[in-house]
Amino acid sequence: MTDCNCENPLVPMTVEVIDIVDETPDVKTFYVRSENGVPFNVMPGQLAMVSHIPVGEGMFSVSWQEEDEHLQFAIKRVGLLTDYLHTIDIGQTLGVRGPYGNGFPVEECKGKDMLFIGGGIGLAPLRSFIKYCFKHREDYGRITIICGSRSYDDLCFKDELFEKWPAMKDTEVYVTIDNEEENWSGHVGFVPSYLQELNPDPQGLVAVTCGPPIMIKFVLEALEKMGFSDEQVITTLEARMKCGIGKCGRCNIGSEYICLDGPVFDLAQLKKLPPEW
Amino acid sequence: MMEITKQIKDIARQLFEEKKIDLFLAWEKSDFDFQSMPFFARGVEDVDKIIFDEFSIHNLSNALLRFRDGKERIGIVVKGCDSRGIVRLLEDHQFTRDRLHIVGVCCPGMKDPLKAFRNESGFEKNIDTDLSADKCKDCIQPNPVIYDVLLGEEQPVPLQGERFLKVKEMEALTPDEKYKFWEDTLSTCIRCYACRQACVACNCRTCIFDESRPQWVGRESEVSDNMMYHIIRAFHMTGRCIECGECERVCPVNIPLMLLNQKLIKDVDNYFGPFDAGLKYEEGAKPPLSKYRENDPDDFL
Amino acid sequence: MEKVIAALNQDYDVYVPMQRAAQTGFFSYRTYNEDFDDIMLDILNVYLPPKDIVFPQTEKMYSFKEEGQQVLIDKVFEESEPKIIFGLRSCDLKAIDYLDELFFTKSYEDDYYRARRDNTIMVVNACYNPGSSCFCDSMGVSPNAPENADVLIHDVGEGDFAWEAKSEKGEKITGLISDLLIDQEVTLPTLKKFRREVEYEGVAEKLKDMFDHPMWEDLSYPCHNCGICTYMCPTCYCFDIQVKTSGDEGYRFRCWDSCMYREYSQMAGGHNPRELATERFRNRFLHKLQFFPERYGEPLCTGCGRCIVVCPAGVSIVKIIDRIKEAEI
Repeated sequence: MTDCNCENPLVPMTVEVIDIVDETPDVKTFYVRSENGVPFNVMPGQLAMVSHIPVGEGMFSVSWQEEDEHLQFAIKRVGLLTDYLHTIDIGQTLGVRGPYGNGFPVEECKGKDMLFIGGGIGLAPLRSFIKYCFKHREDYGRITIICGSRSYDDLCFKDELFEKWPAMKDTEVYVTIDNEEENWSGHVGFVPSYLQELNPDPQGLVAVTCGPPIMIKFVLEALEKMGFSDEQVITTLEARMKCGIGKCGRCNIGSEYICLDGPVFDLAQLKKLPPEW
Repeated sequence: MMEITKQIKDIARQLFEEKKIDLFLAWEKSDFDFQSMPFFARGVEDVDKIIFDEFSIHNLSNALLRFRDGKERIGIVVKGCDSRGIVRLLEDHQFTRDRLHIVGVCCPGMKDPLKAFRNESGFEKNIDTDLSADKCKDCIQPNPVIYDVLLGEEQPVPLQGERFLKVKEMEALTPDEKYKFWEDTLSTCIRCYACRQACVACNCRTCIFDESRPQWVGRESEVSDNMMYHIIRAFHMTGRCIECGECERVCPVNIPLMLLNQKLIKDVDNYFGPFDAGLKYEEGAKPPLSKYRENDPDDFL
Repeated sequence: MEKVIAALNQDYDVYVPMQRAAQTGFFSYRTYNEDFDDIMLDILNVYLPPKDIVFPQTEKMYSFKEEGQQVLIDKVFEESEPKIIFGLRSCDLKAIDYLDELFFTKSYEDDYYRARRDNTIMVVNACYNPGSSCFCDSMGVSPNAPENADVLIHDVGEGDFAWEAKSEKGEKITGLISDLLIDQEVTLPTLKKFRREVEYEGVAEKLKDMFDHPMWEDLSYPCHNCGICTYMCPTCYCFDIQVKTSGDEGYRFRCWDSCMYREYSQMAGGHNPRELATERFRNRFLHKLQFFPERYGEPLCTGCGRCIVVCPAGVSIVKIIDRIKEAEI
């Protein structure tokens, strides 16, 4: 049976897929657990290298850790590995290694009002922070979630977005889609412009954003224009990753590695680095 | 060569002044006597740095690929083999003729700066006093085949004796001997892909070896993957290789790549020819393996 | 010297600088063939850097087997056969020091590298005649008195070598050849003058403000992005991790990769932070001269000069450092 040397940081642990949830036509959330429950404990925002072992590995943010029960990964189908992942069934063995990265500053944000701005699959890493805030609701102030996607079908975590989260105390959820659609009576428009329309007051707020690189760039510009200071704005980035431990060299932004020093950076840190992400 | 340098500089200066080009590709001198480097002049102020000497061995047509999606008008200095490279690009629709102002130079044969550097570096015991480039010894086209202006005197073909002599020697070996030869040499390949990058005919936007769905050849540098890499690349060059020899020249572990390419050139010439790639630019022309005719030979199948 | 190598070869796999066919590199003495190979301890340096011995071009990581939906990871290949790298130069030794810094520090230790490195002993050949492309001195490397050598040997002429054990590991192997050594005074050669010098001081600082400098485009024009520099460089370490399968079995392996290739940072969704060749070129030199020093304290270049010799287009890190020093911000 498997008795791999999991001390080696490049060798994964094996986990079993216990549930697969179809979020959108190209996003599925995989629930995995190991023999002992979870293969490791993660903090919101941390990453794990998930592999369909005979096919390849890919770095994904952990969308949520349910106690000692299981880990959740929301994965979009974009390439070789994710194609394969989307064809597997419950019961399949996957490889997982981690947790990598610095995670969100959950402690430093306590007592603050939170503003989450997510686009498309970028909502997945934010979800881990959002759910953490809800789990420790009293530690955080008002929570505002702005989320957008190409279309209604492409919105992830629909039941949480439309039912569970708006029902939480002192929480507002704003959803937008890019183009008009039948049966959609909500806001239509891109996330950065919706953000500027809603015009939240920066006072006492921490803004956390994630999405496609182009959306992050526009959101960061918009937040700056709205008066947010560099330390108030946090984002989580991604890159092509292979080792996950800061050795193979490819995920660098300047002298920082997204897998090791990130993926969470605040705007003050990002401004000191070359704009190469 | 000094005379040619002066002529090239005058042409470049004139082209810039008349605003006929945005960029001029030629060479500049490095701080070593035995090295000239590709140089992209961007205006009249850069023209003085341009030189053309016996170390101007690089195939500048390869550098045109960098600009294939742009609109810059480019002046370029080409020797015989380089000009065949331009024909290659035009046939492959990677570039358009109207963007180019081609200054052809009849090539007297080049010296290899890599050889000179190796002699000089202290990394080599076997000093090669003959600096002339190996690739130039097999040259069949020293005079440019496409140009807007031609400089220098027409040069005689350097190839002495029979063409494809080395190929014929290899063909005479037994299959086992041939396999051992290629196994020995290809096992030293470190898969640096320099041959691919230096090659003007290698101009696919996504190279087959970078595809992941499916991955055609594994990335390990072990003998069977290496063989697949070289064989596939040679076959993709079949009927398209313009014999500039850069692949073999740049190889850091001295794999005899031109031997493989020449075997295929000989076969194409034999079965589909007479044919040599890139000797003449004709609108709409295609390499022999890119067109199908019902009477194509097939007795080798 | 061959007697020494043969004696050490009993217990260790000894890698010696050899000319083999058209290549020079460090090859195992156990594969030495008198008729075809030439051992070269008097040459300045060899083309293929010795990083291959502690960090191979291709290295198996772990193997696995598929059984229906289950996948079992069965073997992890941490190889640690005792080895000696015999006759490497100070520039290459310093390069291995930098690889140690990289693979052993900053939160994670690379176990594959650890297994190989711990069991490898360095016998360094002190260098007294810098070559025309050598500039190790300017990059903080001492050619004839390197740090961290296990044994230091000096060519004192007429086929004789002086042998100095410098560490515990060095003492250990000295024991194995003690009957081939004579204890005597020697006069060491004098270090000849360097023909190339470059001023690296202040470059890392200056580069902080030079990311958008227009000189990068000009400097990158001759570069083919061929990757030879990264493969010949003794300090370059970027690697790829891929998988090979055959039916139900397979293994994951890692292999050298190069930041010069477009696929290096190409993401599955199509985004590529370094799409253009100029951006990759700039990233390589910034990594060597600014990012690595910012993270680990020293530049990722030991002045061996290989990249200058093998670059088909004449790109030279020395010229680039000179240009950086002259550049106006």
